[in-house]
Amino acid sequence: MIHRLLAVLSLAFLCGSAVNAEPFVQGGPIGSQTSDGYNALGPVVQQPIDFPHYRHAKDMGINCMYCHTGARRGYVSVIPREDKCIGCHQNIESVKDKPRIKKLFEYWDKKEPIPWKKVNDLPDFVRFNHERHIQRFYFRQDRPVREVCGYCHGDVANMTVDRRVKSLSMGWCVSCHEKDHKESVTNMKTSHGPNECWQCHK
Amino acid sequence: MSITNLLNNWSFYRNKRPYRGQYDLNRQYGEYKWAMAVDLDICTGCNACTTACYAENNLPVVGKHRFEHGQVMHWIRIERYWDEKMGEFPEQGTSFLPMMCQQCEAAPCETVCPVAATSHTNDGLNSQNYHRCIGSRYCSANCPFKVRYFNWWNYPSTAWPAPLEDQLNPDVTVRTKGVMEKCTFCVQRLSEAKSRARTEYRLVRDGEVLPACAQACPTGAISFGNIVDPESKIAKMWKNQQVDLYKDMQEKDNTVRGYRILEDLRPFPSVMYMERVRDAEA
Repeated sequence: MIHRLLAVLSLAFLCGSAVNAEPFVQGGPIGSQTSDGYNALGPVVQQPIDFPHYRHAKDMGINCMYCHTGARRGYVSVIPREDKCIGCHQNIESVKDKPRIKKLFEYWDKKEPIPWKKVNDLPDFVRFNHERHIQRFYFRQDRPVREVCGYCHGDVANMTVDRRVKSLSMGWCVSCHEKDHKESVTNMKTSHGPNECWQCHK
Repeated sequence: MSITNLLNNWSFYRNKRPYRGQYDLNRQYGEYKWAMAVDLDICTGCNACTTACYAENNLPVVGKHRFEHGQVMHWIRIERYWDEKMGEFPEQGTSFLPMMCQQCEAAPCETVCPVAATSHTNDGLNSQNYHRCIGSRYCSANCPFKVRYFNWWNYPSTAWPAPLEDQLNPDVTVRTKGVMEKCTFCVQRLSEAKSRARTEYRLVRDGEVLPACAQACPTGAISFGNIVDPESKIAKMWKNQQVDLYKDMQEKDNTVRGYRILEDLRPFPSVMYMERVRDAEA
């Protein structure tokens, strides 16, 4: 019985690894590590639409939080709803015949949500608050938005489909939390991030 | 807690707790100290707090058989006491005492954990990290209030059959077999309120956040708040009852009712109870 169970489990594991071509390796695949040891390229995620982040964030210079509106308000940064995309794109005639935009309008006409897949996924027992980080580094210290988001998400403005670039492990979180950061632009006082279990573990 | 932080602040962590100045409105991580006050004169023993806690904190209902084995998982329980002297009407002498984790400042459970799964937070809470816990149950043995509960069974697979898992609170972990758990003062609500307050450049207002038990109490017997703020309701209650957080022996008049349970063991609890006043003649 146990052998049969094991066989089923290993089969499931094999199927799972076949779907995700690059399984998660702590510290990233061999060769991808940088000197801090925490950079880890995540798997390539096949999204329903190859969303061009570079076009929006780099070429057009749109603030990340124009679409990811939850980042400054709450725990999750929010994948924008479809009407956010349509709100702009119904007025941009020049790209309406492009295949990605056609696909977007197909979903819109069918009244179906776009089944985006999660790229940066934390375990369920971790409470990560986007709001605190954005409020601290973007609004209080006035750092550029691409830098602030990039601490964890990497250079998304040069990507097409987003890909995880950091390991998002606890050691990686703590490596930043134990550094001293300036509290605001005018205040020279420094402090480090909170360093207790219940801050993140629920 | 990283090892660097531990080594850099060794003397801080070796300090005797609590000490004066540990909580201070001007300190970056000392501006909150959550405390509770339970008025036993108002408590009717209705168990609404227990029910609310079950709903908020994903507590499994263990069933009669396991209850008899002492494996019940209520983070807050109503203890009943009977007064022998009441004579003709003994039920007149019933008194109820809601017992939850007392969030001791010098917590006996923290010092004995072999893997540091339970530790003190900057808010004066006694935190329990389920993913670090190895289930030695030493903390429960050392707890004088017996408010730590051990998962003897794999409740996630049995306690919430098919549609019931929809009622689980996503902000609280569903604990698995072999870990210890206890009252958290609803830390998920506290951290959300603190985050909201910090965004608005202020401290959490008095009454802005309540744990589930205090929110559900129909008679308002449970009060909760930040004792560091001298204007808060809870700080005034502690002061009026002449109970001092930093003292293990209270010197007070006979006219006040406030006390902390097992104070002479010096755990410095964060929950103050107020005695029931009874007229035995009536």
